[in-house]
Amino acid sequence: MNHRKATDIFLLLIAILSPFKMSGEENLVEQRPIVGIYSLEIGRRSVLATYLSPLKYSGSHYAASGYWTKAMPFNPQKAIMEFEASVEWDNLFNPVKTARMIGLDASFSWGLSWRKRLPMNFQITAGGAVEIRGGTYYLLRNSNNPVQVNASGSLDIVASLSKHFNISRLPVLITNRIRIPSLGIFFNPEYGETYYEIYLGNHSGLIHAGWWGNNFRIDNLLSVTLDFGKTAMSIGYRYNLYTQWANHLNTKVQSNSFVIGVVPGSIGLKKRRVSTTEDRIYSIY
Amino acid sequence: MKPKIFFIYTSFIILFLASCHESPTYSNTMLGNFDALTDIIDSRYCFFNDKDIDWDEVVLKYRNQITSETSTEELFLICSSLLDELKDGHVNLSSKFSTSYYRNWWSDYPQDFNLRTLEQYYLDFDWYTTSGIMYKQLHDEVAYMYYPSFSNVISENSLDYIFALMANSRGLIIDVRNNGGGLLTNINTLIGRFIEEPITGGYILHKTGPGHNDFSEPYPITYEPSPKGRVKWRGEIVVLTNRSCFSAANNFVSVMKGLPNVKIVGAKTGGGGGMPFTSELPNGWSVRFSACPILNNNYEVIEDGIEPSPDCEIHAWEDELAQGYDAILEYAIDMLKKNPLPFPPGEPGDEEQNN
Repeated sequence: MNHRKATDIFLLLIAILSPFKMSGEENLVEQRPIVGIYSLEIGRRSVLATYLSPLKYSGSHYAASGYWTKAMPFNPQKAIMEFEASVEWDNLFNPVKTARMIGLDASFSWGLSWRKRLPMNFQITAGGAVEIRGGTYYLLRNSNNPVQVNASGSLDIVASLSKHFNISRLPVLITNRIRIPSLGIFFNPEYGETYYEIYLGNHSGLIHAGWWGNNFRIDNLLSVTLDFGKTAMSIGYRYNLYTQWANHLNTKVQSNSFVIGVVPGSIGLKKRRVSTTEDRIYSIY
Repeated sequence: MKPKIFFIYTSFIILFLASCHESPTYSNTMLGNFDALTDIIDSRYCFFNDKDIDWDEVVLKYRNQITSETSTEELFLICSSLLDELKDGHVNLSSKFSTSYYRNWWSDYPQDFNLRTLEQYYLDFDWYTTSGIMYKQLHDEVAYMYYPSFSNVISENSLDYIFALMANSRGLIIDVRNNGGGLLTNINTLIGRFIEEPITGGYILHKTGPGHNDFSEPYPITYEPSPKGRVKWRGEIVVLTNRSCFSAANNFVSVMKGLPNVKIVGAKTGGGGGMPFTSELPNGWSVRFSACPILNNNYEVIEDGIEPSPDCEIHAWEDELAQGYDAILEYAIDMLKKNPLPFPPGEPGDEEQNN
């Protein structure tokens, strides 16, 4: 290996390992901004939780969530990190409105997706996430079975399909994002077990291995994001279905919600003056 | 084309899996509500075998009483009569206009207690009260506490005052007559003052499925001594009972009966040895029923009540109570008054020995 060849290899290594890209005649600083969508939801939810009641409860559903994405440094054009957190609140009634159930739920997930840009401004992403959920349904008039605790940890499949286009001069991004937990674990009391007995220390039969046959959830969000430049607004529709079957106890939760969100700092679709020193890689499209 | 086929296939599988486990649904009609009630009891009530009840036969008997002309009030009465067949004080049907209640578990027995007699002739209308417990040192230096409901939360500090104030007594009477139950956690608080080591006071089990024999293994209910530094009671104890001791009070008597320094005096308790669950019917009525049996430390069901200690079954008759004489309480005082005082007047060490 002569001196010239060794120098070339050295420069190539520098180029790969450096956080700065070498493009043309100038060094471009690679920027990977975090895109955060902060949303509020309002909708309807129905809950069947046979530990509490054989009747299906229904009523209003509210949620607040945050969804953050960022391009990963090792492959910023293709690898995207996602973090999502939400809290949910339900105010539900039995069919004849004589009993009230309150639902409270929180979830956190972290995942990694790969994206592929397609012709005609389409983009698909697919990946996995680790999700932790916890919450409870509280039926106010019950005696020794007043709550059903929901707790689970799962590996989720996440995927999305999006397309961006312009309405007049306004950039628009339309996205359908889906999340389906696959394998995991979840908590479920035994058929007629009181929480008093669990409090006494009997913890057998409470934790179950979850798969689609006993613990199925699908969360689908169809959203339209309007990019105003310094900020963006998102509106959408979320459908959520959750079924759980363990210890002869059946749980079915279904909700339809209207979602409105804001994206501080925009999603990068609005054309800006081209910077000669920055290369911004957005994770959202 | 391939992605489309995959999408349709996946959607089908998902929907199929999600709808695998259907639960029965009931119409909000007379028969629909009746069937919902009978199914709830059939799948969740826990004492069919102990009480030798043929539920199918009972259901058939009452279902035939429902006709197209049955009114809502009549349905309530039919359902109430159906539930009375369980002979269980923990079973109630609640509507907007009434709550059914099986009363025979106590109404068929003497009451053996009169609160006015106690207050007037034994407490002289002058007693201490804390955490819902009335207490006083009676004549013959016998400590007495009346606990009318386990719904009153007992604080550790309250027990410190009670046992410190009555420390120099020949024995302790705990009167739980007419105590209809309440919070099981109060039992732990109280029992903790009478034990030095953890004890197994009984067992609890639960249904694992809808079958009448689907039960878990009994799980021990352990009672811990009260925390160090609390005032303990180490002397003799007499627990007074009548038929109206029910549910948590029944459990308390069951645990106390297993302690070596305790006698149970009075009448057999009323039972209620199953922790109740609640469910509901399509018309919004709620139903409460025994769901989890509790056993004593000999693995025996206590749903039928706790017998007094040998030779300690005593009744306090109405005419005697009216004249100011409580035979059960007098019997307990006689049992204890022969004991020496733990700290005779003039001798030091009272506080030290009680801590």
